[in-house]
Amino acid sequence: MIIVKDLSVERLNKKIFENINLSLTSGNITILKGKNGSGKTTLLKTILNIIEPSVGSIYWKGKLLKKNLYDFYSHITYIADKTSSLTKLTVKDNISIWSKIFLSNINNSQIETALKTLKLEDHLNQKVGTLSFGEIKKLEFLRLIIENKKVWFLDEPLSNLDEYSIELIKQTFEDHVAKEGSIIFSSHQNPGIYVTEEINL
Amino acid sequence: MNFLVNPSKFNEIADYIFKPILILSIVLFALGLLFALYLSPDDYQQGSTVRIMYVHVPSAWLSLLTYGIMTLYSIVALAFRIPFGFIFNTAVAPIGAVFTLICIVSGSLWGKPMWGTWWVWDARLTSVAILFIIYLIIIFMNFSFENRVVREKVVAIFILVGSVNLPIVKFSVDWWNTLHQPATISKLSKPSIDPSMMTPLIIMTFAFMMIGIAIAILRIKTEIISRKSYLS
Amino acid sequence: MKFLTKITFFFYREYKLNLSGVQDILTNIIFFFVSIFIFIFSIGPDKETISLIGIGILWTLLLLSSTLSLRKFYQDDFENGNLLIIHLNGFSYGFIAILKTLSHFIFVQIPFLLSIPIACILLNISNEKLIYVFTSFTIGSLILSCLGSISSSMNLMNQRNYLLGSVIVMIFSVPIIIFSVGIINLEENFYSLTNILFGILLIVFAINPWASGLCLKLSLENN
Repeated sequence: MIIVKDLSVERLNKKIFENINLSLTSGNITILKGKNGSGKTTLLKTILNIIEPSVGSIYWKGKLLKKNLYDFYSHITYIADKTSSLTKLTVKDNISIWSKIFLSNINNSQIETALKTLKLEDHLNQKVGTLSFGEIKKLEFLRLIIENKKVWFLDEPLSNLDEYSIELIKQTFEDHVAKEGSIIFSSHQNPGIYVTEEINL
Repeated sequence: MNFLVNPSKFNEIADYIFKPILILSIVLFALGLLFALYLSPDDYQQGSTVRIMYVHVPSAWLSLLTYGIMTLYSIVALAFRIPFGFIFNTAVAPIGAVFTLICIVSGSLWGKPMWGTWWVWDARLTSVAILFIIYLIIIFMNFSFENRVVREKVVAIFILVGSVNLPIVKFSVDWWNTLHQPATISKLSKPSIDPSMMTPLIIMTFAFMMIGIAIAILRIKTEIISRKSYLS
Repeated sequence: MKFLTKITFFFYREYKLNLSGVQDILTNIIFFFVSIFIFIFSIGPDKETISLIGIGILWTLLLLSSTLSLRKFYQDDFENGNLLIIHLNGFSYGFIAILKTLSHFIFVQIPFLLSIPIACILLNISNEKLIYVFTSFTIGSLILSCLGSISSSMNLMNQRNYLLGSVIVMIFSVPIIIFSVGIINLEENFYSLTNILFGILLIVFAINPWASGLCLKLSLENN
């Protein structure tokens, strides 16, 4: 679905990465590996057409990405390394806002089971700002289920999580791939997840 | 005309023409002062104070001209992705600010004997004061962003948005009936100024322009060098 | 249809956000009223003088208090990455700017508009003038929202000089103040001046998505 050809990005005339080639088809998991500051987030944002590449082109469903950008956007979920939940609101409000603005067709019982597996059901009426960092991160993953999109873009999904949550995420990844979805994520450690393509930055 | 958009070409040409421009500016300035202070007549109404005009009017024209050129360079830089426009904007904004300041101060000195007050809130004066503040904001913006790419583009956008002030400054004396006298020299009609006063005015304008160009060349060259060292 | 639903829910999100920060908006209004008190005490409680310069005070304070909330315009959403998510949800940068401007008008400026009658009583402005005051303030505050959108999107990456955004809004609002004070003071020119003000609104409204959208794109690109 996504094909990236000879991608290079420059910032302030400094090369961040050069000649990246990757292709992501349904049912694939691609991992971007590299040290801190090697340009993993930049690559993700470049594929999302937020950063302009200096050289190279990106294709979505055989067409140039820029030509059908919003069709592309309607098929992806992006989770940044920062948390996008609104810290002033409660967990419940955040979930209701997300399921509304993403026009989610998911029902309440599915969300409840997801909350239970993430062990967040006790914090439903708590403000997000009072949760611990790991819990906020887990809440962020709820967006994957609410948005229910095909392609997942995840930036450092495994950092700051305990073993149980990492296991959970591996499980989610496998389920998603089994449903013909595809995942592209970045990590600076070895995650121990089966991946089909590995890109070293 | 390539040297107007290409930094390295600009450097070549600038090395070549800098000294002639400097000499020309000194000669023109001396000649202009001679004309303005000794060889031009007193005004029958305003007396000797009319000589302030030979500083006031050229600096007013050049403050507008500088902003106009900056606007053009912003459009060129944003639309065609030519970084020289950003270099030009950063380098030239303080020069424009100084021209505007000279215009305001000399106008104020002229206004005291003529109108009996340093400052009135008429449309021309207010819009020139706003032009000065816009120049200051451009200069401050150049200092307050960490990221160079964001800074130069945001400044260019601000220059474009601020350029709505230019026609207001230019036509304010025609649109509103105010204390400030209407423009005495315009292209469309016969100028309402005597040739004996016209000559020093034109000479002084060119002298100011040459001084401005000389300083601009120096500043643009510095800016180009500082960018190169930033890149490596 | 899907797009319209998305817009509706965008405003639902803004409503929830502003409801949780309702004390900020109320503090803004309190600031507005306390400033009126201070103005009145500093020029003396003479009825004639106050009704003469009341409109000017009202406009100055509206401008100052609406620049207070400028930093919240995009900054919060920019810092926690929500701006990016809204963009990925299918809104272009320019459209985000329009939506945010409207939401700022609805949730920040309208509370001010509602408190204007009380301010008019305090400043001894006659009831007949209230309709003129309202017209000029409604158009004027929409223009202020647009200018606020432009200046706060420009200053997203500006980490050092927060006040610059307010200065930009204030410098561009000079013509608006001239015309809208004119509306109230020169009643015979009501229609012509309202048209001029409306023209300014249309111009600013047209520039806003372009300028803010470009600045948002730049800031997200280089964040």
